[in-house]
Amino acid sequence: MTDAILIESFQRLLADAAPVSDLRTAKTGLPACWTKIEASGYLDALLPEALGGAGLSLDEIEPLVCAMGAGLLPAPVAETMVARLWSAQAGLPMAPGMAVVLAPASAIIPLAGHATHALVPRGARFEFVRLEPSAADPFHAGAGVVAHTCPVIGSIPAGNIDLLAAAAALLSARMAGAMSKILTMSIEYANAREQFGRPLGKFQAVQHNLAIMAEEVLSARSASRIGLAGPSFDALRSAAAKARVSEAAQTVCSLAHAVHGAIGVTSEHDLHLYTTRLMQGRIAFGSERYWGQRLGAARLDERSGTSADFIRARLQNSR
Amino acid sequence: MDRVSLLDGFGPAAIPPEAEALRPAIKAFLADWVGTWPPHRRARTWTAFDRGFSRELGRRGWLGLTLPKHYGGAGLDAFARFVVVEELLAAGAPVAAHWIGDRQSAPLLLRYGTEAQRLAFLPQICRGETVFCIGMSEPNAGSDLASVRSRATPNAAGWLLTGSKIWTTYAHEADYMIALVRTSGTADDRQAGLSQFIIDLSLPGIAKKSIRLGTGDSDFSEVHFDNVQLPAEALVGVAGNGWAQVNAELAFERSGPERIYSSLVLLDLWISHLQDRNDDEDLTTVGLLLARLAALRAVSVSIAARLAAGEAPTIEAAMFKDLGTSLEQAIPVAIADAVGSRPDRPVDPELLRTLAYLMQLSQVFSLRGGTREILRGMIARGLGLR
Repeated sequence: MTDAILIESFQRLLADAAPVSDLRTAKTGLPACWTKIEASGYLDALLPEALGGAGLSLDEIEPLVCAMGAGLLPAPVAETMVARLWSAQAGLPMAPGMAVVLAPASAIIPLAGHATHALVPRGARFEFVRLEPSAADPFHAGAGVVAHTCPVIGSIPAGNIDLLAAAAALLSARMAGAMSKILTMSIEYANAREQFGRPLGKFQAVQHNLAIMAEEVLSARSASRIGLAGPSFDALRSAAAKARVSEAAQTVCSLAHAVHGAIGVTSEHDLHLYTTRLMQGRIAFGSERYWGQRLGAARLDERSGTSADFIRARLQNSR
Repeated sequence: MDRVSLLDGFGPAAIPPEAEALRPAIKAFLADWVGTWPPHRRARTWTAFDRGFSRELGRRGWLGLTLPKHYGGAGLDAFARFVVVEELLAAGAPVAAHWIGDRQSAPLLLRYGTEAQRLAFLPQICRGETVFCIGMSEPNAGSDLASVRSRATPNAAGWLLTGSKIWTTYAHEADYMIALVRTSGTADDRQAGLSQFIIDLSLPGIAKKSIRLGTGDSDFSEVHFDNVQLPAEALVGVAGNGWAQVNAELAFERSGPERIYSSLVLLDLWISHLQDRNDDEDLTTVGLLLARLAALRAVSVSIAARLAAGEAPTIEAAMFKDLGTSLEQAIPVAIADAVGSRPDRPVDPELLRTLAYLMQLSQVFSLRGGTREILRGMIARGLGLR
């Protein structure tokens, strides 16, 4: 488990370098916070210590990725951590200043508008391409697409890495973090906002909606941990994570907006910044239907044993 | 820390190898015992009552796993019990005869009982010989548990008990009931003045009647106490402390695998019928249910870790139970839709029979052990909403 000090210092770094309020005025392109983050050394969190990294495992960075989601960090820090690891493993360390998104086939690539490069699967290799300005993100959330015309600047062997699974697992953790944050915001709002002479949080209907929201956040967070629990990315773990997180995101967004009322959809309030990214995240790197189908197919391929056996063997650590 | 910090208590927890080591033997035993039973019978699992089965589990050392050895237990931790219970439920074993005693009565007596009570009852529970039930709800007190009216009045011989309990699981088969009753004040005093008693159900003045359900089964009972003389040593814990004692049990009652696996036999039966005629929509249904199940199993293991550490994560257990029973209810709903989506195809009669049973019983999943609405109120308070 990641120790609390590491997480806290990372959260401080994010709050200092990239406050959520900046997002409202943010333009696309590499954000100003990137220099500070690069200088902090966190981009090499996954690299073995022998290669100058912190030697963390995927499950150890999961709380950090959640914190990126909770802070709506407008930079592909988690994805760059992974790209730097793979590049180093291939003996081709990445140049400084590269902010990389993972770009498997996807309806939309979150954070592409804030990246300098993308990692694109091509045959048995992943190619690094230099990103060019793409069409504006219809969600106004810094996403984009990777054009086929982007210039290739290098490549690494794909090995047995499932790029879509990796992208989905990292996105799931960011989404789980964002969901935790809007739960907190909704609880605070329900306790502060008064209607009919008492706080919203005193109304049973509102209480039950917030209870459901908290449950969905709990379930999504548990799923996001499954996505980043193994020694390396795994398609079935990602399937469980992204399917569950995407499904939960829809419920959490709806209930958060219901609690906040109309103020939540205005540009002056932060809520819409979170919910647009969650809605976009649901579509990106496979929705719940896509991953549900892959997970279901894997279960049907495994003819022996109960579903409990399947979950234990394929999705959970029984060390 | 903010108010949702309770969500951060769910660190990743893994079942330790010494607990996992129990799995192969229990699996092999269950394959012999229930492996050949038809699924509609296995689907009854923790509502199926079989004293012979429970005694056999006791003989093999799989009951009272968390109890100290000198009371007949195995001296293991919550993970060991998790593994055994998970296998029992996934196989659809008939666990009702030892279920309450093993899960709740034994830990309660270990924590609040006198040494004499522990020595009298714990070894019997570990042997699977004695059946316990829990008397909570009354004809006019269900979700509003604090309004119980059954009353025990002190007298020279101990306590004189009069009142009624209802919806008590298998009271008509049980040997003992641990009941929450009033010992002082009136129903208006709410949580104050309640106490727990261990009641020998063979005593004079006790009338038991099973309640027949629409499924044809009789899992529940009503019990009437008419001036039943209880000995002084029937009191469990401290007089007037019953509410706190009952609440201490709730995290155990609400956080186990039984809150996610009640429809598992049906799910696996349906999956076995999909093997050669799958379509994309069915695969998605299977995958989404498994994703929910996997996330919840991890939460359950994590709560087991906190229970093992001596914590009482009551609110977290309530969240888990609401999520888990919602999933258990979603399984028959989804399968009914899938089965009915192709009117031209025959449905396997055993699948239909198992489905029909769970479509009915699953309505109870969010009632037993605290209704969904009560849980959501508790969770809201835990989140800091007042």
